[in-house]
Amino acid sequence: MDSENTRKEKLKRIEDVINGKEPDRVPVTGATAVWHGAYAGYTTHEVLFDYSKCKSAWLKVARDFDFDTFTVIAGLEGMIYTIALLEQPDMSSAARFILGATHLALGDVYSKWPGYELDKNAHPQFIGKEIMKASEYDQLIENPLEFINKVAMPRINKKLGKVGSAEYNAALVKYGAELARFGAFMADVSVELAKLGYPTIPMSWGYAPLDLIGDFLRDIKNVVMDLYRHGDKVKQAVEAVKPLIIKAAACSAPPKEIRKQIFGTEIVECFFPLHLNEYLNPKLYNEFYWPALNDVFKEVIKMGLTPFVLFEGKHDAHLETLLEAPKGKIVGVFEKTDPRKVREVLDNHIILVSGPPNSLLISGTPQKVEEFMKKLLEDCKEGGMMIWPGVDGGLSRDAKPENVKAMLDAVKKYGKY
Amino acid sequence: MNLGDEFVRALADLDEQKVIEIAKKRIESKEDPFKILEDIRKATEIIGKRFEEGRYFVSDLIMAGEILKQVMELLKPLLGDKKAESRGKVVIGSVEGDVHDIGKNIVIALLEAEGFEVVDLGVDQPPQAFVDAIKQYNPQIVGLSGLLTEAIESMKRTIDAIKEAGLRDRVKIIVGGGRTSEEVKNYTQADEWADDAAVGVKKIKALLGVS
Repeated sequence: MDSENTRKEKLKRIEDVINGKEPDRVPVTGATAVWHGAYAGYTTHEVLFDYSKCKSAWLKVARDFDFDTFTVIAGLEGMIYTIALLEQPDMSSAARFILGATHLALGDVYSKWPGYELDKNAHPQFIGKEIMKASEYDQLIENPLEFINKVAMPRINKKLGKVGSAEYNAALVKYGAELARFGAFMADVSVELAKLGYPTIPMSWGYAPLDLIGDFLRDIKNVVMDLYRHGDKVKQAVEAVKPLIIKAAACSAPPKEIRKQIFGTEIVECFFPLHLNEYLNPKLYNEFYWPALNDVFKEVIKMGLTPFVLFEGKHDAHLETLLEAPKGKIVGVFEKTDPRKVREVLDNHIILVSGPPNSLLISGTPQKVEEFMKKLLEDCKEGGMMIWPGVDGGLSRDAKPENVKAMLDAVKKYGKY
Repeated sequence: MNLGDEFVRALADLDEQKVIEIAKKRIESKEDPFKILEDIRKATEIIGKRFEEGRYFVSDLIMAGEILKQVMELLKPLLGDKKAESRGKVVIGSVEGDVHDIGKNIVIALLEAEGFEVVDLGVDQPPQAFVDAIKQYNPQIVGLSGLLTEAIESMKRTIDAIKEAGLRDRVKIIVGGGRTSEEVKNYTQADEWADDAAVGVKKIKALLGVS
């Protein structure tokens, strides 16, 4: 089959699942930050800082393995930048992740990178920091966009500390150039992937409002304590940032008129990585986290976008709340909640994504991977599902290639309808 | 209800203001600080139990850790050099390549509140740092923490290094973090694993035979 037909076949598989139909077989949507680099023999530093090496590793994986899509997420959480740049929609979307190069350009205090703060083979890490003081909630609530730009950005980025300084101006120019370079790189890879028969599903950017405050402004530990100490302020802040997130989701989606023409599909996934969900007890979750998140889901769905949600950690205690979200419109990747339990509680209310955990892909054998996949597919594939290998965060650097192959082979064997 | 019981209840219920208020009262009335420590231990056990029963979540453990920190600070000047009898010694750190520490810090707060001696090596600690710490502190337990899936190989390398140094028989080792599992325990050849902090504390106590 020529690559264009292969691409269409893979794309249809994913479209079918998202449209609530069973395709010919279960699709496998691979994602990683650094596994492709390890597979191609590069250090983690090389594959994150040198786009030509990242591209060659990415395409090598695409050639050597038969995923239905394969995405490299080459950055760390950076939604605050997308929000800060909302008035400049094209830049806003490109700013979604903190990249190695943008970390160097701006000197953000959130992240640590291989070859700089970490060993050249370590995984980049978002550690976060208290950017906003507890006493500053009112300022955020009054004008969140202004607060994020005027108060938070200079604190987040060491090189933007002094407005109008030579360092500040140079950092902004460098940052803009790096975003453009990254955008060109992603577009280039997307074209090359298409030649190899791989579709690209366009993405837009969502976020849980409380996570925006926890991840980027207060830090996880502080935001949790804020909920106990002055929950009313947190709730107002959640409401204040919510419209910005909805606007960001709208701005970051490719316009309806050109979707089909560029990507060959009407589907746009809107990415939501959830972080505080596992931390919060049901009382806090139901009061501070879920209502605002569900509001964002509903708005995003109204825009014709498909929320693609990473339910990080254990989501067991909060599963039932998802019945309040629009039925069959949300794709859910469940990291540590048993997919059988998801089916039992939610049936086809959520489009189920599951897969082998990295511990199995790192320490298991091809036989063990096959057994795992056989059982997973037999138990869960009815009605449609997708496989996300390395379900806990995407393929780990240390996932063994033979185990990844075994996973793909098992889907062809047991994932057919 | 006497002040001690009220204190235990307030702490177990994570009522921050009340805990601090009662602690200050008890200190002012010159109560034996070791009695207060004993109540802290009791309350921490209740918190752990509530977590196990699914009534408490990570957010509750974070809040508990914060309240415990404040109470311990109030008690510190009274305790001076006197120490409660240690229930066991634990060396703990995030393994090489991993700079996450929220889970590790909750475990430390809970262990200390329960009367264990903890040596915190910090984050991104190479295998040799654990080997050196075993020699220097002579702990019964070594805790290897990490959130990344890449921490799994790092934990394995650390345990290999402990073996090579001839120290494996001297310690029990627990691997901990969101991505650990029975599989990871077997692969790294640790003695135990825990993917949440309260279970980690419980397993450490079991390894020490003091549960």
